Amino acid sequence: MSSPSLTLASQERPVRRRLLEILGALAIAATYIYLVLNQPTDITGGPGSASALVALSGFLAGAVLLIIAVLPTLPASTLVLIPVALVLNIVLGQFVGSTLVPFYLDAIGTVLIAVLAGPAAGAATGALSSIVWSFFNPTVLPFAAGAALIGCLAGLAARYGLFRRFYLAPVAGFITGIIAGVVSAPVAAFVFGGTSGVATGAIVSAFRAMGDTLLAAITKQALLSDPMDKAIVFTIVALLVYALPRRTSQQFPFIRRHRVLAGKDQARKDQAAPGTGHTETPAPGTAPGTGLNG
Amino acid sequence: MTVRSAAGIVAPARRERLNPLTLLAAAGSTAVMTTAAASWALSLAVAAACLGLSVAGGTARRLLPAAAAVLVPLGLSLLVLHGLFFPEGRTVLAEWGPARITAEGLGFAVQRILLLAAVVLALLVFSFSVSVPDLVAALSAKGVQGRFAFVLASTLTLLPAIAARAERIRQAQESRGLVVSRRLLSRAAAFRLQAVPLVLSLVEDAATRATALESRGFSAAGPRTSYREVADSRTQRILRIVLVLAAVAAIVVRVVPAGAGA
Repeated sequence: MSSPSLTLASQERPVRRRLLEILGALAIAATYIYLVLNQPTDITGGPGSASALVALSGFLAGAVLLIIAVLPTLPASTLVLIPVALVLNIVLGQFVGSTLVPFYLDAIGTVLIAVLAGPAAGAATGALSSIVWSFFNPTVLPFAAGAALIGCLAGLAARYGLFRRFYLAPVAGFITGIIAGVVSAPVAAFVFGGTSGVATGAIVSAFRAMGDTLLAAITKQALLSDPMDKAIVFTIVALLVYALPRRTSQQFPFIRRHRVLAGKDQARKDQAAPGTGHTETPAPGTAPGTGLNG
Repeated sequence: MTVRSAAGIVAPARRERLNPLTLLAAAGSTAVMTTAAASWALSLAVAAACLGLSVAGGTARRLLPAAAAVLVPLGLSLLVLHGLFFPEGRTVLAEWGPARITAEGLGFAVQRILLLAAVVLALLVFSFSVSVPDLVAALSAKGVQGRFAFVLASTLTLLPAIAARAERIRQAQESRGLVVSRRLLSRAAAFRLQAVPLVLSLVEDAATRATALESRGFSAAGPRTSYREVADSRTQRILRIVLVLAAVAAIVVRVVPAGAGA
């Protein structure tokens, strides 16, 4: 996949892309802050209140801006992986959902892309995943911003070497889960007025019985289940990436440049031939997109 | 369930006269306006209208299971959550220990369920009646990144294929003696035995596909010719603009007073 682009890269203006990225992130952050500050007056004001609309439009606009900014910069080798990741999110998520009971594990594909191709690709995959999945389950649409955040954080974790050791991956997942859970809670509270699963609903009920506000109860529930869920997802992805043959994983410029799997590679290098310097050079044709991925 | 509905989506839809973007605008603005109105009567009417449309369009058999899979757990969860525990409620109908059934809680839950049902049905009627190739062609004609269209179309076509491959891998592993017992460890091992070959083969395939796409100018800039003509008309274009404006107006009318009041 390191094969250089056979056609000339389009001359995009990077400043505009960067601006769109920043705007997208700002939209998501501003929406979250507005929701958290505004919540006490709103929840008893009846369903479909202004907050639901703000959550929907703010988070969706942010996610769409991120997609517009990132998608054109991705090399084709990463782009063809995105549909695969979306399908993995759905198929593996379903498989795990039907065998291992308490978690949803619907971000495996997103995290896999983030580890292989970087935070920008991860964020785009997360947002796209929600949008495409909403074709058969419209309730995942408002979580696009949360999914993008998970992809971005997973990519950052990979970049700073947290996937080099198998015991660091779940730690990164746990932290990602905390952040993602806190960001997604207002969506659940204001758009749905609760959670979509019966099991998670029971946990929220327990906090509500203690007199919490709806947002507080859902945030606490998210803090209980999301970090565990993401820790498991990150571990699964780490094991999957370790199982990839070196020929496959080293095709990705992001993995080579930031030595995402250095631990494993170091061991292999010691066994095979010391000083295989050629793995460090980035592929020439992927240059236009990798400024963002790195 | 999801996989089957995806196969249904990929199959060409019957109605070809309306531009897919008009359908999308109609579904989206219906969803937005229903949310903004927040009245149970309108939600109920929209849900009923959507059901009627899907019966008329012949998609009801595929749409109903998909909608039920989404709405039943959500509805149950909301009923339990707000029906039993609603500290803000005043009118207590029944009480067991910490659980109190309040009229306000039940009302809140029912209203929310009706609203979500209306929104989910409106969007599902769109996705089950639209023809994906037409949607992709219409999006590219509007200057939307060909890459987004590629991701959408590719995912919807890959879904059944990959589900079938996952099934084949499971059968292959079972024929080699994989037995999944009830223990958690055995299930995790079974998951690994199936997920690793699946992901491996998918990543390999993607590499091949990337080369093939690149050699056909996938990343090249410039206009593309589409072989697929999507019907469109002046009336539909105006209708789309009106729908989008109506949705934006609904948001503004709803949000601005709330923002000013807070």
